[in-house]
Amino acid sequence: MTATDAGPDPASPVGPVTPPAAPAPVPLPVRARDVLASEWIKLLSVRSTYWTLLVAVVTPIGLSALVAVTLANAPGRGAHSVDPLLPGVVSLEYALLAVGVMGVLTFSTEYSTGLIRTTFEAVPRRRAVLAAKAAVIGALTLVVGEVVAFASFGLVQAVLSGKHLGVSLSQRGVPGAVLADGLLLFVVATMGVGLGAIVRHTAGGIAALVGVIIVPAILALLPPPWGARVGRFTLLDAARQVTALHPATNLFAPAWSLVVLLAWPAVALLAAAVAITRRDA
Amino acid sequence: MIEVDQLVKRFGAVTAVDGLTFSVRPGHVTGFLGPNGAGKTTTMRVILGLDAPTSGTARINRTNYQELIRPLHQVGALLDATALHPGRTAEAHLASIARSNGIGRRRVTEMLRLTGLETVADRRLKGFSLGMKQRLGIAAALLGDPPILMFDEPVNGLDTEGIAWIRQFFKALAADGRTVLVSSHLMSEMAQTADRLIVIGRGRLIADTTTAELIESSTRKDVLVRSPRAAELAGLMTARGASVTREDDGALAVTGPDAAAIGDLAAEHGIAVHALIPRTASLEDAYLDLTGESVDFRAANLSPEGAR
Repeated sequence: MTATDAGPDPASPVGPVTPPAAPAPVPLPVRARDVLASEWIKLLSVRSTYWTLLVAVVTPIGLSALVAVTLANAPGRGAHSVDPLLPGVVSLEYALLAVGVMGVLTFSTEYSTGLIRTTFEAVPRRRAVLAAKAAVIGALTLVVGEVVAFASFGLVQAVLSGKHLGVSLSQRGVPGAVLADGLLLFVVATMGVGLGAIVRHTAGGIAALVGVIIVPAILALLPPPWGARVGRFTLLDAARQVTALHPATNLFAPAWSLVVLLAWPAVALLAAAVAITRRDA
Repeated sequence: MIEVDQLVKRFGAVTAVDGLTFSVRPGHVTGFLGPNGAGKTTTMRVILGLDAPTSGTARINRTNYQELIRPLHQVGALLDATALHPGRTAEAHLASIARSNGIGRRRVTEMLRLTGLETVADRRLKGFSLGMKQRLGIAAALLGDPPILMFDEPVNGLDTEGIAWIRQFFKALAADGRTVLVSSHLMSEMAQTADRLIVIGRGRLIADTTTAELIESSTRKDVLVRSPRAAELAGLMTARGASVTREDDGALAVTGPDAAAIGDLAAEHGIAVHALIPRTASLEDAYLDLTGESVDFRAANLSPEGAR
């Protein structure tokens, strides 16, 4: 009988125990802060979070610099017709996919391993779990998103200004557009949380995420004027509108496009809030 | 105190739990016994608020689980020890659960020590054996020092020493005045662990009793007698109040007198006896008798020893 196999002394199973005869102290309700802290521990204790953030930081900054260099060296006046904020936006695609998957995983891994039952045993108010997961993922991706957006902006404009194509943050419309750029990670990540809670499987959740982003965008390719009529409701066109220095005139104004943009995760999370309480865990 | 009242749970056309009523009292290890598919896990899930009942109620201290305040302080449960994120460390796993109910790191460390996992606290769970995962699940269940504990098939995957440890552990928890509900499909296991038994089959209650009573009431005791003059001997024994049944091969199964009394009686009348075998059915046989009607999936033509 070795020490490791024997296990601990069963005579005193739970250490200091409250005597069962004594009246139990009135326990506090599960507090929002505790649930948030619990989800925060979960998020930071798995490696995939760090890989995701690495992808979300490195690829947009690197790609935006690459796009800016290509743009700056484009022959003729081609570069002048392109929105100077575009390199920062288009290079976000991998980051968006990465944080969206991270959002899906927060629920899908818990459902696929069965850990969700432990989670709901500890916090039976399931919507509090949904809200907490969305909040910690949202906060993390918002901060990372803004850091990436401003870093890419600085880099892109440093490249473009060499060819006198750049813009500065003091220019009207620029700060808002760059802020909106950073917001995109938050939008897709929290939408991923909602989709993960609805679909409950990793592969299915990721497919749903990609589908929700891509399929409406295909509808935007309908012949005019239908393309724009449908397109202004799509996540991608709304994203382009709020992040462009010169928004398109046939789509919603940036303020309304922002509402459309935020409506996507809001709808996903509301649907998740309904689904999560109606189904057996 | 766990109270299940007229509980019904259907999954589509399948009725997993069918009008189940029982209660589990503090101070005992209560065995929750039934063949695979009897509805044990489903019942536990409903008690824990994970599955919604089709009808009926399952309450903890007269409260629905969803309304419990900081539930880990009131109920600790281990349903599936393998339900873990493989990339997380043991400590982070426990800390995330503890934190949701306002339980501090010190308690996490204590529980790791209690279950003998302190040396692997920083290791990722994918490297854990089933036995280690069972211990981690027990540590998680005990985080809130709850008066009610529920374990679903906790012995699976444990080695002999682990089983001995967990048995004593459950008894110590009950001796503390806690309510301990332990499910199993093995009667032999429960006989050594539980002092009360709730036996179910096909979602219905079969027995709600103490282990001692069940052993007393359903343990068969008789004597097998073979004799060339079996009919004559049977008549003699019946006349003296014994109950005699004839087995397929012509042997007699006699209940009442013991082997010595039968042998004496046969000698008195000059009847040769070829076999005189006292028989006692095991507790496992008693359990099979009880649940025999209710087994969902049974392999055909298995001897009793082979049927689980």
